[in-house]
Formats: sequence, C-alpha cells, structure tokens
Amino acid sequence: MTPARATLAGLAGLAALVALALSVGAQGFGWGDGGAWALLRAPRVLAALASGLALGVGGAAQQGVFRNPLADPGLTGVFGGALFGIAILLGCAPEAAWRHAWVMPAAAFAGALGTSALLVLWGRGGSSARLLLTGLGLNAFTAAGTLVIASRSGESRELLTNGAFGDWLGMATFELAWLPILLCLASTLLLLPLARAFDLLAFGEDAARGFGVDVGRARRDAVMLTALAAAAATCLVGQVAFIGLLAPHLARKIVGPRHRWVLPASALLGAALLLVADTLGRGLWPQAPLSAAAVTAVLGAPLFIWIARGSHE
Amino acid sequence: MSETIIEAVALAVELGGRRILDGVSLRAEAHQVIAVVGPNGAGKTTLLRALAGLVASTGELRVAGQDPRLGSAEANARRRAYCAQKPACAWDYRVRDLGGIVGSPEAFAERLTQFGLNDLADRRLTRLSGGEQKAAHLAMAFASLVEPFGAVLLLDEPADSLDVARQALAADAIRRFAQAGGAAVVATHDLGFARSCDVVIVMAEGRLIAAGAPSVTLTPDVIASTWGA
Repeated sequence: MTPARATLAGLAGLAALVALALSVGAQGFGWGDGGAWALLRAPRVLAALASGLALGVGGAAQQGVFRNPLADPGLTGVFGGALFGIAILLGCAPEAAWRHAWVMPAAAFAGALGTSALLVLWGRGGSSARLLLTGLGLNAFTAAGTLVIASRSGESRELLTNGAFGDWLGMATFELAWLPILLCLASTLLLLPLARAFDLLAFGEDAARGFGVDVGRARRDAVMLTALAAAAATCLVGQVAFIGLLAPHLARKIVGPRHRWVLPASALLGAALLLVADTLGRGLWPQAPLSAAAVTAVLGAPLFIWIARGSHE
Repeated sequence: MSETIIEAVALAVELGGRRILDGVSLRAEAHQVIAVVGPNGAGKTTLLRALAGLVASTGELRVAGQDPRLGSAEANARRRAYCAQKPACAWDYRVRDLGGIVGSPEAFAERLTQFGLNDLADRRLTRLSGGEQKAAHLAMAFASLVEPFGAVLLLDEPADSLDVARQALAADAIRRFAQAGGAAVVATHDLGFARSCDVVIVMAEGRLIAAGAPSVTLTPDVIASTWGA
C-alpha cells in the first residue's frame, strides 16, 4: 500500500472508530433518540481524538528532532512536566485555574516547556542513553513533584491523582475542552511542515545544515510545538504512556521512515489508539469505566514488545 | 581568466580553547579540483566544515559568491554541497528515498547510475555495505547541486570505504563537476588522487604547509617533513 493510500485508509478507519466511540457508553449502545446520547459523548470522543493526534505526532516529532527511536514525551518527562505545571497551578492558586479557559493550558505548557528545555540542555549531544536517562530523571522528578502537591492540597488531590492515571477524559465538556482541542489540532498541523527538517536531521546536524536546514530554528520549533501538543493533550486526558512511542513505530512499519508520511500517520494512529482505549474502557465496564491510560498500557505494552522483537528479525 | 569561487584569507577556528585551524588561506577557481592532504589531526575536516559555514571561524571567507557564515542555511545549500567523512543515518530509508529528501529525485536517480547504485535503489540503507552507503551519501551531495556552474563541492574523504571501482567512479564524478564550471575541495589521504588534482594543499597541525600544483607541493621533501616518512 502506498503511503497516500494508507493515510486515506487511516482517515476512513478513524471515522468509523469515531462513529463507534459515539455509540458506546453507560446509557447503552447506540446514538440515542435523535442522537442525544451521541451528543452527550461527543466532547469526550472529540477530546480523545484531538489528544491522540497530538500524542502521536508529538512522539514522532520528538523522535525526529532527537534522532532517537526511543524518544517519547511520555518517557522523557514532557507529559510529566505538563501535569506538574497544572499541579503547581492547582496547588498555588486553585481558584485561578478555572477562571479563564487559557489558564490551565498555559500552566501545562510552561511545565512541558520547562522539562523540554532541561532535556535539550542536559540530554542532547550525547548517546541516546544519556537523553533517555535525563528524560527518565525529569519524569521521576515531575511525577514526585505532582504527588507531593497532590498530597498537600485536599481539594485538588483527587483531580491530580486522576490526571496522573490518565483519567480526565470523562470530565470533558465543550466549555472545558474547546481550547485544548484547538491547541492539539494546531500543534499537530504546525508540526507537519517540519517533516523535511526531520528527514535531513537523520543524517546529523552538519549534514542537515549542509542541505539547507536551519537546524536551530527547526529544533526550537519542534521542541516548542511538541511541548504545546503535550500540554494540550495532558489538559484533556492526563498522563498517557506508550502512545507517543507506539504510534510512530507502527507508522514507520506501515508508511516507511519518511517524515512527510510518518508525522500524519503517527497522528492518525495516536488518535485511533486513544479512541480504541477509551471506547474499550467505557464499553467493557460501562458502570465503572477503565481509564484510557490503563487500557493503553495493557494493550500497548505487549504490542510494543512485539514490535521490538520484530525489529530484530 | 577563471572565476574565483572560493576565497579564504587567514581562516582560523578555535574549538574548546584549542586552535584547530590557524590562519589558512586558499583560493579556488571554476573548473578546479583541490585536494587537501595531511596527517591525521591536520585540520582537513575543520577546513572543509569552515568553508561550508558549519563551524564558527574568523578571517575572510567567500564561497560561491557569499560568506557562508552570514547567509541562511538554505541560501548556502543552493550553491554548495558538503559530504562528511562518515555519514550516518538515524532512520532506515530506502536508497531511492534520499532523492526526495534532498529535493531532487531526478538528479539523484542520475547520480545513482553514475555511482553504480541503480540496482540498489529499493534497498534499505542498513542493507548496504559501508562503501555502498558512502556512495549513496555522495550521490545525495552531488544531486543537491542541480546546477554545477559556479557551485562548490566539499567532500571529506570521499574514497573512504569505497572499493577501487567506485573510487574511480567518484573521481570521475568530481572531475566532471569541475569541468561543468564548479570547484571541488576534497580532503583525502590518497596521494595518488591528490596528484591528479589541479591544486594540492598540504596541512599539518592546523596550518598550511604548502599550496600549489601537485608537482611543487607533493615533493619528497614536503612529504618527509609533513608525514615524517
């Protein structure tokens, strides 16, 4: 299958998944009278779709800019930084968090950007192990910070704990989610034109510069947009592991390594993975849904091991 | 009189407080192939990177009509190509993908033929030998300069890991590039290839030891004092 056909097939598959996701819920199977149930589920489905796009493309972008197939904003602390930013906001000024639609995404963006900057500063330029170890350290630090704040703030404790378990999709309403959804879509679209820079960065910074890439600008744009994607997705779903790692790997298996196809395919696969996870979590246990993050980990871990084994054959 | 395409005066590079390139001057004209020779650590790679504008340097520099330190990466790449000694790639592209990545698939397809890589176009890079990978990267560098006239090719050890047949193909491609009006600067350990070039620059410890026609630069005395042989 050519990459163009695979992308079209992916879009069609995603549309079918959206229709299925709108049909599944605690009220029963179907769209309800006049689509009432579907309308009720629409914000959650849209939030899962948008955050999945951002998580998938964010993973592909981080792998592209660091030239590292194991880079994933979930592993390298960027998602952790976004949730830590939200935790600091809720710990310091909980009443301000809900005053304007932009406050929570701004806090998440500041946190994600902070960890991204430290990752670039401390982790880049060495071996891939150095990048990952720096990221794991940042991830552990931000997770611990979020936990400390959650344990000290009574009213935000449950909210932050749910965020750490990737269980925020159930809270999605149009009023709460419209801005993060727009930011997910915007960061996804803005990352796509960096495909050529990622393709050439694969040959090293000297080669990329030699072939006309403004490496500093491409890296800055990629880091900022990945942080924005991570922040917006975190506002919608909380922390979800694996999608940023799994979606680009699956994408490369389907469309090959060129980033002009890997970026959109990772976005579509990320959206599909998160939608499937959320729909399964709601559909199998309608009265006590399992979080999208939990289902993603249950499905993603064996899938990832299968891919890793395949890559050595 | 030929057009001067590269002019460097007292070019110097410091890395980590150490002077890697120390006041090197050179001039290249259209239709010329210039060999840069010298022992390991002489500064050949740094000279090429400085000419490409890939490392901060002091001194006067003009490459293909502009100072590469001031122009944008995109503007520099239109008139100058650079191929590193040991090119590597993070992703397992197919050979034919490289033409699209470099932005000129037709020119790249022609270069694949020129470097004897046509049969390998559908192979992934990891399935190629070291020499075949190097030839594919050279094809990329050549293909990025669609119009050789007035352009500059900077090649770091192009013959490194190539077999004898591909070394001859690479030498032929460099010569044809120069014949079409470009200038090529080639860092090499192959003194036989250097003797076939128009100008040879001999370097040691970041400094210029000799520059000129091979007959006046690659003398037994210069070789003995530079390489200690």
